[in-house]
Amino acid sequence: MKKNWWKILGVLLLLYVLTVGMLIPLKPGIVEVIPGSVRTGDQIDLKVLGYNSFYSLAKKPIRAWLKLDDDRALQASDVKVTSDRQLAIRFDIPDYLPINTKVQDFALVLDSDADGPSILPSAVFVTQDSIDPEMGLQVWKNSPIDQLTSKNILTFPFRNILSETIRNTYFHVSLWLSMMIIFIGSVGTSIGYLRTNNLDFDRKAKALTVAGFLFGLLGLTTGAIWANYTWGQPWSNDVKQITTAIALLIYGAYFILRSAFEDEEQKARISAIYNIFAFVTLIPLLYVIPRMTDSLHPGAGGNPAFGSQDLDSTMRMIFYPAVIGWALIGLWMAQLLYRVDRIRAKLLDLH
Amino acid sequence: MKKAIFSALIFQFCWFHKLFAQTGSPDFMRSVGKIYVVVAVIVTVFIGIVLFLIYLDRRLTKLENQIIEHDQNDN
Repeated sequence: MKKNWWKILGVLLLLYVLTVGMLIPLKPGIVEVIPGSVRTGDQIDLKVLGYNSFYSLAKKPIRAWLKLDDDRALQASDVKVTSDRQLAIRFDIPDYLPINTKVQDFALVLDSDADGPSILPSAVFVTQDSIDPEMGLQVWKNSPIDQLTSKNILTFPFRNILSETIRNTYFHVSLWLSMMIIFIGSVGTSIGYLRTNNLDFDRKAKALTVAGFLFGLLGLTTGAIWANYTWGQPWSNDVKQITTAIALLIYGAYFILRSAFEDEEQKARISAIYNIFAFVTLIPLLYVIPRMTDSLHPGAGGNPAFGSQDLDSTMRMIFYPAVIGWALIGLWMAQLLYRVDRIRAKLLDLH
Repeated sequence: MKKAIFSALIFQFCWFHKLFAQTGSPDFMRSVGKIYVVVAVIVTVFIGIVLFLIYLDRRLTKLENQIIEHDQNDN
């Protein structure tokens, strides 16, 4: 029991991840704004559909803005609460906008004392009939977005494309990081074999590679499921998808290479060297190349991977335990395989 | 044995699909803020762990057979 504390820890961590990660609600957000495009000079009534929102519980009137940039915003003239999840907001769009583009997107910002602030980027597109930034400046009634309510309850960020699937961070993203930890262990044992020529190290390296490979395959399939409902299709030939597929093929070749040798010593030595090679290619394939080009994944093409919007402090509370939990489960799997292999070797000696 | 389990898994997938279709909404997976995508991901990871168990089971069965063989040779 004392020896197995880390297995219990792994299971407990994953139990925590599964329960807390699924129970914490999303921050109230805006799903849709109808209509999505208006013309200058219009008085428009926007129908706003909220998510996890409680508009009717707001004690103070809900405030709304159409945000142009960090300094300029247009406040709503009237906000009517239709239901907890629906608002009717009236905006008077001026005849001219203080910009010289024909079409401009505005973000919708809401502030309610029941839900806190919520934002929908590019919610409304305003088309100018005639462009005159000078006139636009004169008629622009700026009302800066200020005194936003701050809410200190445990929530996950609401991201429009992701909504609830942001929870997949604990079941997809963490799998990849755990895979990395397991593969580091595998390389360590391979180096250990090359230094000592002890076949136990080779068995450990193989078992760890099996566990890491399984995590990689799971990462790829769960990623495809997630992508199907966020990017529109399971496989979009994204850089990271392609490079991880290549990395997994390289690791798949490790097992084929092993099966090609009869002699245990030769098998162990060559597969140890191959394992080091595979790990060396894994780093650029997973962490360098995807960052150099445009990718749908965060953390590529200038997108920060761990920006505060993608992984806030509440999510970190679940994400890091998830990484450790999955890694411990993977180690457990590898340990079971290693023990089976060791018994098999003992049996072969007896024959 | 492995084939049977595999086809059972595939059958289950098809059955799930029917179940989704029966809920009436054409976009069951996208309902309730796409929470069922998370469910599908967790189910996939669980299936992965089960596949590992099957793999381990088969290896242990081989070992057991070797032990039985070894005992028979001794007698």
